[in-house]
Amino acid sequence: MKPWAVQATPEGDAVCIRFSAMASPCEVWIEHVSEPQAAHFAAIAWGEAQRVEHTWSRYREGNVVHRINTANGVAVDVDDETARLLDFGALLHQESQGRFDLTAGVLRRVWRFDGRSPLPKPADVAGLMDLVGWHRALWRAPTLRLPAGMEIDLGGIGKEYAVDRTLALLQAEAPAAVLVNFGGDLAANQPRTDGRAWRVGIGNDGQPAPGTPLIRLTKGGIATSGDAHRCIVSNGIRYGHVLDARTGWPVPGAPHTVTVAAATCSQAGALSTLAMLQGSAAETYLDQQCADYHVIR
Amino acid sequence: MQLKKTNALGAAALTLLGGTSTAQAEDRGWVFDTATLIYSELDGRVSAVEPKLRATKTLANDRSFSVGATVDVLAGASPNGAIAADTPQTFSRPSGTGQYTTAPGELPLDDTFQDTRIALDGSFTLPVGKQTLTTSLSASNEYDYLSLAAGAVVSRDFNQRNTTVSVGANLASDTIDAVGGAPVPLSIMPAPGQPTGRAEASEDKQIVDLLVSVTQILSPQSLMQISYSLSQSDGYLNDPYKIISVVDGNGDPLRYAYEGRPETRVKHALFAQYKRFVFDRDVLDISFRLLTDDWGIGSQTLDMTYRWNFSAARYLEPHVRYYRQSAADFYRIALFDGEENQLEFASADPRLGQFDAVTLGLKYGQTLKSGNEWNLRLEGYTQQGSTDGVPSQAATALAGRDLDPTLDAVMLTAGYRFRW
Repeated sequence: MKPWAVQATPEGDAVCIRFSAMASPCEVWIEHVSEPQAAHFAAIAWGEAQRVEHTWSRYREGNVVHRINTANGVAVDVDDETARLLDFGALLHQESQGRFDLTAGVLRRVWRFDGRSPLPKPADVAGLMDLVGWHRALWRAPTLRLPAGMEIDLGGIGKEYAVDRTLALLQAEAPAAVLVNFGGDLAANQPRTDGRAWRVGIGNDGQPAPGTPLIRLTKGGIATSGDAHRCIVSNGIRYGHVLDARTGWPVPGAPHTVTVAAATCSQAGALSTLAMLQGSAAETYLDQQCADYHVIR
Repeated sequence: MQLKKTNALGAAALTLLGGTSTAQAEDRGWVFDTATLIYSELDGRVSAVEPKLRATKTLANDRSFSVGATVDVLAGASPNGAIAADTPQTFSRPSGTGQYTTAPGELPLDDTFQDTRIALDGSFTLPVGKQTLTTSLSASNEYDYLSLAAGAVVSRDFNQRNTTVSVGANLASDTIDAVGGAPVPLSIMPAPGQPTGRAEASEDKQIVDLLVSVTQILSPQSLMQISYSLSQSDGYLNDPYKIISVVDGNGDPLRYAYEGRPETRVKHALFAQYKRFVFDRDVLDISFRLLTDDWGIGSQTLDMTYRWNFSAARYLEPHVRYYRQSAADFYRIALFDGEENQLEFASADPRLGQFDAVTLGLKYGQTLKSGNEWNLRLEGYTQQGSTDGVPSQAATALAGRDLDPTLDAVMLTAGYRFRW
């Protein structure tokens, strides 16, 4: 029993490979590949998604993130790839003036966006804020030293990274156009051979939100931040699930979703996440960045 | 959606991905474009077969390399410039040995027209700072003509890559080794059997082309390009085999003179193109070209194609082109007795006359499962001219003759594109 399913289009001009990874429905479209050949590409895509998830998930024991999060104040040396991910997270921290933070994952202990849990007590949030703050980390590649009790979470950049990596691996071998879609974060290497664009619905977790336009993607990446369905409503105020690492509280006035197109999925994801963290100023921020975006409020 | 400029986040994302961007195609070997054109003029005139091959390799860091080869095999008969007459006309062949005769009322065609041309070119594109530089070398050779050229184009994007400006130059040096030597312009063509009286030396010409072009993306679905080019030719610009009839008052040929053209030519051309993606599926392409030169020739070209992507891997592309040009100042259908000794320049080459031409074509293309593409294009060409430069002294006599240069041709092109 293979962990993926392969389906050819009715015209036979492409195959779609579907599997589950990183808590998302994943699909990969490849043009001009027959169903028998597709297994080879499916193994590459599924393998890379699994590798990224296993290597940097904070829920798995024994990986580099687990080593960092249990180092208890001792310096940890990391591999090149992890160093690049940490550098990228550090840059997002700097670009967002501290709103984005690799160490903000501990806030999930008090924030539950399952639609049933109440707002956390301000004192509980404040109690965790000593464990949040990339500026407290001592990071000089390849060495990272976090104060005891602090943790990192690469979840905010891992999925987009997996999309870009998977696309790079596939296009090295695939004969024509490739589209990678991991739960609504996408990247394509080139327009389809007939010159048409890939058509993608904006949405989250692979579900196009109703009433949203289809995007034409010819090349590059698209990422969406936010989730219209995950929030806490208290006293008529809607608290979105995007937390500002400087306060530990949701960003006021954040859009439901921000979708951005950029040269790579990682860049698109960074832009959409940072825009979300700007709250009511999301569009202004994206305009300043000359980004190509679609915001749903 | 359109991709915009790379900013700090974009650069960081590229660093994260180890310097490989999904927006840059990986090195995927060579792409080969092959095409063969079969060209046939009706009335048994010129026919040609032209196979072409182009190989392109994309290298790392936005560099690319391209080489091309073309072979032209021409055969048939081409108008020699003389007009039809009421009597048989006999012409000596350019080599001085042999002759050919044209029946009364027929347009004289030189049937010795046979040629094989081989052309090679190579170009290399690389980024230089914020610019892209493309340098190219090309050479073409046929038994009596050699052309060597070198060129460079610099392009730069502005305005978040929505505007591209290109500036380029191309220098060509051609050598003409006419069969039997190049004749003295407007000298008399010797009668069959007489010595040719041509200079046994090779002639040459130099051509400088300058180009400025601006491409502007107007919207995610449309773009426009405007370019201006200046071309200056110096040297031997005659066709050594073209003659012109010298007639008497009855319009009958007395003798034939070799054509003579100026030794310089300056051309200005303005080109505008608009491309639009329509119905989220098709591509409309309209272009217009204006050309004027100091020989008095002005031309206008309107070209339109519509690519109908009627299925995922197949398309049909109708094509229509309309071309008109005015005659060169020294274009003469024939000369009156003695004019060959008074005029500085004269040519009866139909390509320098006034004419209108229409091309209609249809192309079918299909992408195979392998990603390779083949296509087939059929085009018809028709050219209608009006007679200019009729000597007034013989106008009445020539009025009854059909002197208008007409030409009909059919072109079939088969192309195949594959990766290797």
